[in-house]
Amino acid sequence: MFEARVLPVKNKLFRFAFRLLGSSEEAKDVVQEVFIKVWNGREEMTDIQNMEAWCMRITKNLSLDRLRMKQRRATDSMEDGFDMQHESLSPHETTEMGESMVRIHELIAALPQKQRQVIHLRDVEGYSYNEICDILELDMNQVKVSLFRARNAVREKLVKINAYGL
Amino acid sequence: MDSKHIEQLLEKYWNCETSLEEEQQLRDFFKGTAIPDSLNETASLFRFFEAEKKKSLGDSFDTAVTKELKKRQGGKIINMVSWVQMARIAAGVLVVVAATYFIRQEVRRAYPEEKVVTDTYTDPQLAFEETKKALMMIGKGFGKAKSEAGKIKMFNEAEKKIQGKETGAEKEESANI
Repeated sequence: MFEARVLPVKNKLFRFAFRLLGSSEEAKDVVQEVFIKVWNGREEMTDIQNMEAWCMRITKNLSLDRLRMKQRRATDSMEDGFDMQHESLSPHETTEMGESMVRIHELIAALPQKQRQVIHLRDVEGYSYNEICDILELDMNQVKVSLFRARNAVREKLVKINAYGL
Repeated sequence: MDSKHIEQLLEKYWNCETSLEEEQQLRDFFKGTAIPDSLNETASLFRFFEAEKKKSLGDSFDTAVTKELKKRQGGKIINMVSWVQMARIAAGVLVVVAATYFIRQEVRRAYPEEKVVTDTYTDPQLAFEETKKALMMIGKGFGKAKSEAGKIKMFNEAEKKIQGKETGAEKEESANI
């Protein structure tokens, strides 16, 4: 049951956690945590209709918890006089992706949290609006507005890149 | 697929009016090579989405996780987060208890408790004599108070008499007038 219903979604969970955290190691840890949580609650698994959306929701919550913890730690270290560390692509990843892809990666990474979540779920994973509402615990209007803003922010930047090479 | 249709679809896409099928059509189009120069950057965006979708964890993750979970089968896994929460609550309780203790100590030091009266007599006869003495003292006090109260009574009577005389004199005065 667990292997048939939960393990196949591991890559979607990983990509979503990676989009939120910006680190593949941390994303991997989150997926493992999600599996442990699901495993602990496996008795209630039969009551859950959309297992995938449920797992995605746990992934989102655990990733956001981690982000909050990281931010708190970053604020503490700033108070202690240390510089903040920003997540960025490794040189290896940069070479592999190519210049235009790196630009788009940065462009999407710069979007506000909610917009980044929505554009990822729709344009990378191909979820329906209803499924996105379910995963993000938002209403349809919020999802559509976030997606509209995200796509338009991306479009504006792309037009600039096209016109001025910025 | 002609570029006009693609442009229309793209317009719909930017306005969030495309269905999942139409978005798939766009993805398929940008996978190809016949892309107009004006859409180069948009093509990169769709290619980026495609590349993102290929990111995966690999099979080694499956085996590691399955092994880990089977090891834990039956038993609950201790969640670090809940431990942290519990430690926080425990620390809070500890602070409150410690604060109460120190405040009590301070208060005790500042206002030492009066010594509790304890039995001082072991001999019942002596105790009786002492009690008698104490009661006699109280009785004497009462007697004195009674005699003092008698004086007040005398004053009251004298006051009444004076008042009576005054009213008699007033009556006489008014009769003369």
